Amino acid sequence: MEATDFTARPTARSPSGSHTAAEFQYPTPRRKSWLSWDLESSEYDLLFLSTSLKLLLFPSYRSTDFEVHRNWLAITYTLPISEWYYDTTSEWTLDYPPFFAYFEKLLSIPAAFVDPKIVDLNNLNYDAWSVIAYQRTTVILSELVLGAVLLRFIRGSVDPSTQRIISASLFLHPGFLIVDHMHFQYNGFMFGIMLWSILMARNGNKLASGILFAVLLNFKHIYMYLAPAYFVYLLRAFCTSPSGKLEIKNFLSLANAVIAVFILSFGPFIVMGQIPQVLSRLFPFTRGLNHAYWAPNAWALVTAADRVLLRYATRTGADLPINLSGVASTSRGLVGDTIFAVLPNVKPIHTFIATIAFQSIALIKLWLNPTYKSFLTALTLCGYASYLFGWHVHEKAILLVLVPLSLLAAERHAYFRTFILVSVAGVFSLFPLIFTPGESMVKVPYSVLWIIFVYVPLTRRVYEFPRSLSFAIIDTLEKIYLAGFPLLQLLVALFPTFIKRRQSSVAIPTETCVSSSDFTCPEPDPYSGPAGMAGMEFLPLMLTSVYCAIGLVWGFCRLMFLYLNETYQGASNHI
Amino acid sequence: MDELSALPPEGPRKDPRRIRTISVNSMRSVQASAVARSHIDYEKPEILAPTPRQPITGSRHLIEHGAQWLNTVSHSPESSRPVSPTSPHRRSSTLSGLSVRFPTSMSSLHAAVDAAVGPADKEAEHAMAKRWIRWMHKRGMKAWVIPCSLLASACIKFCVGLGSYSGKGTPPIFGDYEAQRHWMELTIHMPIRRWYTYDLQYWGLDYPPLTAYVSWLCGIVAHRLEPSWVALDKSRGIETEASKVFMRLTVVLLDAVIYVPALVMFTRIWEPSRSKRTQNLALATLLFQPALLLIDFGHFQYNSVMLGFTLFAINAFALEQDLFGAFCFVLSLGFKQMALYYAPAIGGYLLAKCIYLGSVNGGKLFLRLAFITSLTFLVLFIPFLPPFAPLSAIYDPISRIFPFGRGLFEDKVANFWCASNVVFKWKNWASSTFLIKLSAALTALGFLPSVIVFCRVAWQTRLFDGQKPSLHTPILPLLPYALLSCSMSFFLFSFQVHEKTILLPMLPVTLLLSHAPLDSTIFGWGVLANNVAVFSMWPLLKRDGLGVPYIALTILWNRFLGYNPLRLPSRSFIQLLSIAAYAAAFGLHVLEFLITPPARYPDLFAVLNVLISTPIFVLLWLWSIKCGVEASWAIVGLGSTTSRPNRTSVASDDEKTAVHSRPVSLGVAQGRRRVPFGTENDSKTDET
Repeated sequence: MEATDFTARPTARSPSGSHTAAEFQYPTPRRKSWLSWDLESSEYDLLFLSTSLKLLLFPSYRSTDFEVHRNWLAITYTLPISEWYYDTTSEWTLDYPPFFAYFEKLLSIPAAFVDPKIVDLNNLNYDAWSVIAYQRTTVILSELVLGAVLLRFIRGSVDPSTQRIISASLFLHPGFLIVDHMHFQYNGFMFGIMLWSILMARNGNKLASGILFAVLLNFKHIYMYLAPAYFVYLLRAFCTSPSGKLEIKNFLSLANAVIAVFILSFGPFIVMGQIPQVLSRLFPFTRGLNHAYWAPNAWALVTAADRVLLRYATRTGADLPINLSGVASTSRGLVGDTIFAVLPNVKPIHTFIATIAFQSIALIKLWLNPTYKSFLTALTLCGYASYLFGWHVHEKAILLVLVPLSLLAAERHAYFRTFILVSVAGVFSLFPLIFTPGESMVKVPYSVLWIIFVYVPLTRRVYEFPRSLSFAIIDTLEKIYLAGFPLLQLLVALFPTFIKRRQSSVAIPTETCVSSSDFTCPEPDPYSGPAGMAGMEFLPLMLTSVYCAIGLVWGFCRLMFLYLNETYQGASNHI
Repeated sequence: MDELSALPPEGPRKDPRRIRTISVNSMRSVQASAVARSHIDYEKPEILAPTPRQPITGSRHLIEHGAQWLNTVSHSPESSRPVSPTSPHRRSSTLSGLSVRFPTSMSSLHAAVDAAVGPADKEAEHAMAKRWIRWMHKRGMKAWVIPCSLLASACIKFCVGLGSYSGKGTPPIFGDYEAQRHWMELTIHMPIRRWYTYDLQYWGLDYPPLTAYVSWLCGIVAHRLEPSWVALDKSRGIETEASKVFMRLTVVLLDAVIYVPALVMFTRIWEPSRSKRTQNLALATLLFQPALLLIDFGHFQYNSVMLGFTLFAINAFALEQDLFGAFCFVLSLGFKQMALYYAPAIGGYLLAKCIYLGSVNGGKLFLRLAFITSLTFLVLFIPFLPPFAPLSAIYDPISRIFPFGRGLFEDKVANFWCASNVVFKWKNWASSTFLIKLSAALTALGFLPSVIVFCRVAWQTRLFDGQKPSLHTPILPLLPYALLSCSMSFFLFSFQVHEKTILLPMLPVTLLLSHAPLDSTIFGWGVLANNVAVFSMWPLLKRDGLGVPYIALTILWNRFLGYNPLRLPSRSFIQLLSIAAYAAAFGLHVLEFLITPPARYPDLFAVLNVLISTPIFVLLWLWSIKCGVEASWAIVGLGSTTSRPNRTSVASDDEKTAVHSRPVSLGVAQGRRRVPFGTENDSKTDET
């Protein structure tokens, strides 16, 4: 393993001589500092600050995910392991891989001490102070994994002061605040493992990287979005020599380790013969193309285009084949199949093909340039392609893009701009998760603060003057796009009062015609009928989704373009 | 022996730091050009003492010149002066006597502070806020410090607002939240005359008219947004999500409109010549003060409006806008009668100002102040006065605002009456009317020292006919201490005190501590007072379900300041006191967590809380009086009155003596290492 370590140094840029290569090696972090508290005061500050903030968020809005996780605590505590994936007491059945179930089992033991009612299987929708405090505390504590890994990123970094900003930005990411500490999930913990795996890749310990990724997959299978990049990277950089010969020893050690992880995780269920049941829980293929609120991906744009075309067709009477069931079943924020009225329908196989196609572009480049930076970009693109073109993507999955992309933020100005664009659009796309007005007062200023603290110091480090007219034009357009977000937020915030005014004015018969003159109205009158106002309620969501989708798709194009044009010097012949 | 040298030089150099100690106020400096001045000062081997503030009697052009010069320096903090605190070119014109080290000499004091910042890189490492501000400056984000602080504080306020509040979900009477909401409902549906009489059993209005007017405005907005939030009688106890957000929003907005600008103004006005960093640090300290955050945005009240108006008044006094200050203070009183706790200090200050200005100008000012004050009150109460209402109508608000009918104290509150009630049952011993008189007498006794100090200093520095008043009133530095000792004496001795009223003394305490260096006594007292204040409100916060914010905000703020009692001057009184107080408080919390109180004493922990907090508050009050007296010594010297001709001659002939104009500052004297005045005076006389 030591030998491979050396040959696989990821960032040796020059093939000529060990001297230059050594210069660019990442210093290997000291051993055993996992245990010693080598924290600087500023790092303690951030810990204090973020913990206080998270404590203050204890009473904030919780989604059903909170009850989901409480139910899992109860399932894993009360039931024997053989019934974990069969229990249907609550509608929130266990649908995460086994490691997460074991994790919940671990958490359920102290929970029973804190309050036995937490782990009572039939005590559905229990929301006493004890369970809130307990579950939220576990999120805060488990997120320390993320913090520890981010610290290690700083310690071994080439440019610690920049890496510190990036690490801090990840630890305080509004995405985590919204999804974990308000909405409730354990993403901080799991992204901690993911970053740990990436860290191992950076430090040249590819075997550990692969193992950690396998562990991560067994915590939450959504990380399969990233698996192709890992597969290609490990195969190319770890299992084959630079000349293309298969390194049998490495290959076997990696394969065995990964299989061992899976056996550790699924072993009990294999023994009990429950694998089909577990898999059916993990992969429910019965959902629609779009999630309740359209995740801002390519399909959101397609759906929006369909709406616009439908409207165009009904307005002008253009000769377009209209699927009437599509007109009726518009995805007005309802879970279920999306049927297009004008455009051809999208089937899971289409999304699958599109995802694979876009991923493979990045993967080919990765195969040719299996360096750490290249891997990181390909990893981001892999998650990105899955997010943009996947079937039934949830908006929370944007974190799969934002987190690895953050590590690339200070690479160059072009990367930085992509990072800012995607982060702003991505974080904004998470806003609808938290729809209660009180929490909105927190999420908006917090995200603004975050973007200030990330943008201002980093932009000074990487700034480049636009070099040509086309650059300048793109730059300006992106600025205009970003400037649109405050306006959009204003619209979203004021929309409820606006619609209320309108409803009261609609009641007066003389003003019924107002809706037709308003271009933002998504549904044409003849079809919306009395449900027109109900449809309007989802307008802010649709606008948010489409607006963010534009930025995210553009960000994807940018990043793909950057990646394909990037030259990873000496990578191919050095590895 | 002349009065001007009453505050002696620090003697020959003992400390290398002292080389930077310059007397900014030196006449020579005034005459020289800026560059030359700094050069001369720098080379000057002899360290000039700052001198007590004196009425100027020297030649006139010098005064004007000097005043101008000082003016440019002190009021343009953004001038070419480098920001770095370690820069040798830093010139300080304030007497920010916050340092403990050289309390006798005002500008050397400040130089000491500056010098302390040099090796203070170490010190700075302990303060999160300092580190953050330094980072912002290094990254070229200087301009972002204030917007970010304000945004962050707003974010924290909203976070606290997510939690519980007073009387949440406790029908039929609810709590302070419902009271404030009810007043909105009441004021928009009732004619003004009935505001103070409508259904008094259910949260009848018992705050002065300005609160009622503000409630009325908020009520109108609420009515426009959603009439059911403020529907008469039907909306009682309404707790819908949207209505809660609206109520929280009103607090944060009123706070942002009144209190926050007052804080920003304060940091700019009171320490104009300190570096931007120090000012921003002070602002951050003030913004995140946990007691106010917890009560206003957690428990739910509008104290920040009242405190903001008072702070505006204080700022106006520092700008010599006494009339505007008086107007602001009347608004503060008109918003919440609690501002009365400050009244003796403010009144004493204004009276002293009149004395200081001499018979003619002072008399004029007195009349103007009287006119403005009564006019403002008149306008505030005009709906209850003829011709708008019969004269008897004024009785309604007055009797509601001052509820003498209630007892000496109600809840467990950390003041003298409640604490002593543990061993001495006051109610059994004396009638209620007697107790009210007794409490009034004790309160007056409590605030009298600061008023006397004001008048004495004003009398000794008073201007004589034809003298131009100085740029800044000499009595101004006494004001924060006076505010503290007055409000503290009210808190300790007056009747019907609530635990929340500790917010009033906490304002001057936090103002004082905001500019103090980390290891100073003022800092130690300030943070201790704030922490104990939050601790004393623990029973209330616990009842409101604000336990988690209590812990989070207190720890965050202490971390923010880099506070650590062990780092205070070693074995000093304040250090020992702090450690003892924290140990007791921590022990009480652990006890409360572990055991339930016995049935015989259900309030056991609340009483213990009172018994821990009260001694600290009493000591704080005594300390504030001591500081006030010391500050007065620093200004006019120890008791000995001097004759006028003496002063005149000195002022005109000695170029070392200062122009009297000195910008304002917080917390003048910290007499820890005070050199005896008498001896120093003698040595000075010998020299001359």
